[in-house]
Amino acid sequence: MTRLDLTRSPRALALLRSRWPQFLLRAITLAGFVFTILSGLMGSVVGSHNFAIIFVWIAWWTTLKLVFIPFGGRSWCSICPIPLPGEWLQNGGILQPRGGTGFGLGKRWPRFLKGSWMQAGGFLLIGLFGAMTLTSAKITAIVLLFILILALALSLVFERRSFCNYLCPIGGFTGLYAQAGPVELRVKDVDICAAHSEKTCYTACPWGQYPLALKSSANCGLCMECLRVCPSDNIAVNLRPWGSDLGPKTKHRLDEAFLGLVMLASALVDSAVFLGPWGQLKSAAYAIGSPAWFLFSGSFLLTALGILPGLYLGAAWAANRLGTTHVNLRQSLAHYSQVLVPLGLMAWIAFTISFAFVKFGYVLPAVSDPLGWGWNLIGLSKTAGVGEATSFSLNLQVAILMVGLYWSSRVACRISETIRQAAPLIAFSGLFTLAMLWLLVG
Amino acid sequence: MLLFIGMSLLIFFAPLPQPVQIPKDRLIRIEASSFQFIPGEIQINPGDRVTVELVSTDVVHGFSLDGYSFELKADPGQTATGTFTAGKAGVFRFRCSVACGNLHPFMIGKLQVGVNLLLFRGIALGLLAIAAALVSLRKAPRRRM
Amino acid sequence: MKKEGLARWIVILLVLAAVGVPLVGWWLSKDLAATLELHARMPENGGWSVNTIQAKVGQPIHLRLTSDDVVHGFAVGRSDHPALDILPGEFTDTTLTFDQPGKYTFYCSRWCGANHWRMRGTIEVTGEGDPIPPDPQPLFLKLGIDIDAPQTAEVTPGMTASAGRGALFASQLPAYALEKDIYLSNSPAKVWLRLRAETFLSSLSDDDVWDAVAWIWQQHATPEALKSGQELYATNCAACHGESGKGDGVMVRGLPVWDPSLHTSGDVTHQPTGEGLVSPPDFTDPKVLLGVSPALLEGKIIRGGMGTGMPYWGPIFTSEQIQAVISYLYTFSFHSQEQPRGPSN
Repeated sequence: MTRLDLTRSPRALALLRSRWPQFLLRAITLAGFVFTILSGLMGSVVGSHNFAIIFVWIAWWTTLKLVFIPFGGRSWCSICPIPLPGEWLQNGGILQPRGGTGFGLGKRWPRFLKGSWMQAGGFLLIGLFGAMTLTSAKITAIVLLFILILALALSLVFERRSFCNYLCPIGGFTGLYAQAGPVELRVKDVDICAAHSEKTCYTACPWGQYPLALKSSANCGLCMECLRVCPSDNIAVNLRPWGSDLGPKTKHRLDEAFLGLVMLASALVDSAVFLGPWGQLKSAAYAIGSPAWFLFSGSFLLTALGILPGLYLGAAWAANRLGTTHVNLRQSLAHYSQVLVPLGLMAWIAFTISFAFVKFGYVLPAVSDPLGWGWNLIGLSKTAGVGEATSFSLNLQVAILMVGLYWSSRVACRISETIRQAAPLIAFSGLFTLAMLWLLVG
Repeated sequence: MLLFIGMSLLIFFAPLPQPVQIPKDRLIRIEASSFQFIPGEIQINPGDRVTVELVSTDVVHGFSLDGYSFELKADPGQTATGTFTAGKAGVFRFRCSVACGNLHPFMIGKLQVGVNLLLFRGIALGLLAIAAALVSLRKAPRRRM
Repeated sequence: MKKEGLARWIVILLVLAAVGVPLVGWWLSKDLAATLELHARMPENGGWSVNTIQAKVGQPIHLRLTSDDVVHGFAVGRSDHPALDILPGEFTDTTLTFDQPGKYTFYCSRWCGANHWRMRGTIEVTGEGDPIPPDPQPLFLKLGIDIDAPQTAEVTPGMTASAGRGALFASQLPAYALEKDIYLSNSPAKVWLRLRAETFLSSLSDDDVWDAVAWIWQQHATPEALKSGQELYATNCAACHGESGKGDGVMVRGLPVWDPSLHTSGDVTHQPTGEGLVSPPDFTDPKVLLGVSPALLEGKIIRGGMGTGMPYWGPIFTSEQIQAVISYLYTFSFHSQEQPRGPSN
């Protein structure tokens, strides 16, 4: 497969190797993060006039799904401010590589908590309380503050980026879909690494990855620490075809299937709640603690943990039976989880287009009056309109969903022995796409 | 490859006829409360002259129809009335246009004018997408296997 | 290590800037002295953020109005100050100046839920000057009308009476029929009974007399008053009493239907929960409005209906406004224009 190694360009290499460009971006995002928390806590209680709501749920969440992931994999993780304070303490400095003298107990993350199970759980939790979090600036701010403190606390107890690796729901989301993204970090020459016994790259990696062993981009946060410490300049940052991590030979774990299914269910439920015409459903999702909300949560969990996994289980089981060599169901579930990646990514992009294109008019007014105190910094405070979905955006949503179906069908075929074997998974993808199609443009 | 792109463009943009219905005058009473419209889903035919009576039952609400620049605002006790002609077919969302609380951005209903061709185009495209996926792999037999 | 120090400074300065912007902004806005920020919230969410505003005669009060939830309005009762809209998250500035000391009522002027009318606050104006003249005693008190007692019309017309038709009999009516006091203190049914008893009107049919009563009532309502009454009714009353006066407004849905026998001369103050409330009477039922006098309606409007959920409008409406609303109310029972006489229903 064709790859374009960015590090071959001396200018790009200099940019990646120097800690400054990345550091400056992270310093800015950290300031933005702190400002977001403060505006959520101090600013207007009216969501459309609060920077925290508009920037977190419209600007950032949209950019993450429409730009960062599809064009850069986990590139957001490389400039995410959340681990910065913890790493400052862990490494004894902001510009220090890992392994210096810092604070923290440096314990290993418990084995039984490994994997993306908790990230998927966190994402589910966000979904259950989504109607409240999405509309209340205070709660958004409290969640962000909690995340910041939790990440800091965990980095003092455990080694590396434990929060990012195992808890961050966005990390789970980004990591899953980064497998389809067009950026990867790999070693240039395997032999050089084999001959190098110090493994400085592994020591330096905040994510606990060993670049030589990287087969998937799911758990690599593109922080470039390995590239900076490699004595032989043997780390490549490749632009690659989309979906390169998805294929017959790549290894996948069961938790990826779970994460993928949770994301699919969340896309469905969010589309129904936020874009659908069912007012009762919205009120139920908002009235946290009420009987209606428990009913909503029950249905949500049933979709995420019952119906979708059930259908997927059936599809994977059938695919397994249709193959010539039977593997155990567990392996089969993990193997076919790759189909869920392009399917979910494109569904989320389509959802985002439907959701955010209408609301984008709120972004500049929120810059002009971030706290909703009646400021007018750039003269655009009262320009937000109602917003509407255009036929262009509807057509684009259909096209994106279809790309997702095409892509996931292709992956299903590629990882199956025969087309017959891929059929159950294609049917699963088709069914899901139909549901999304109906929710978004039906 | 080109064939598939051509076909998908065809499915997307081919002018399909809407089943012809005799346009009629309709009076639709929509009750707006936080945070829903009742009825939330409305089906009419292209060419219908629609008079909307917007009744608000709790606080001030609005009614803004995507694609039609048709807007109403109603206070409780003061029904707002407006008329438009459904010249465009398809599914259009209508939204509350007066901030009415936390879930206001999601106070949405939908108006279907005629047959939702986009949905059927979407389904046809989906079948095409699956076919394209199968063909694309058969042409280039698994190189990496 | 120099670079590390620089990096630390950059982080610290940026974070301080992020903290500083809202803090400095907050500090600066605090210095906009003499401006009172007034947040409007639905009564369920706390109502007005300030319930009592202190002011001095002749000294302007600067208000910065905003809403935390839905659209509200700001108006001062019995004053010329125009009602202002308060939109969620947006600010409306206004300045009030009072010439006369006394207590004024400010209130929400856009319906914001079933408890909308509870959004009322007081402006206490102190200082030199003639105080607001006290209101003359309302007529219902002078007449000793028990406005809580059930009132139904003793007689009702066979069909809706029409002022247009009644104009034909205007010349035959006795002089007292057009006296203001007669209008104010009598129900249409009472006036009908009195006219019916007059021997010189014996040539008129019962319905003719009703038409004459409708005409008399119309004589006490100017077109301007009717127009103003209609607007006041639409913005303040229709949410409960219904746009067509049927007592079926959006706020009283699901309440038991009003029944005169349930009408307590109660001193029970109803709870915000709406427990024990009934829907308002149907003004289009001739038994209802034709049985009550303008004086009684005025009393109801000024004092509210104790125990019924009807708010008191005394501090809000001027007496002209109340008379305008009353004039408009009777149009639910009378036709103003000439109506062809069809079969009675």
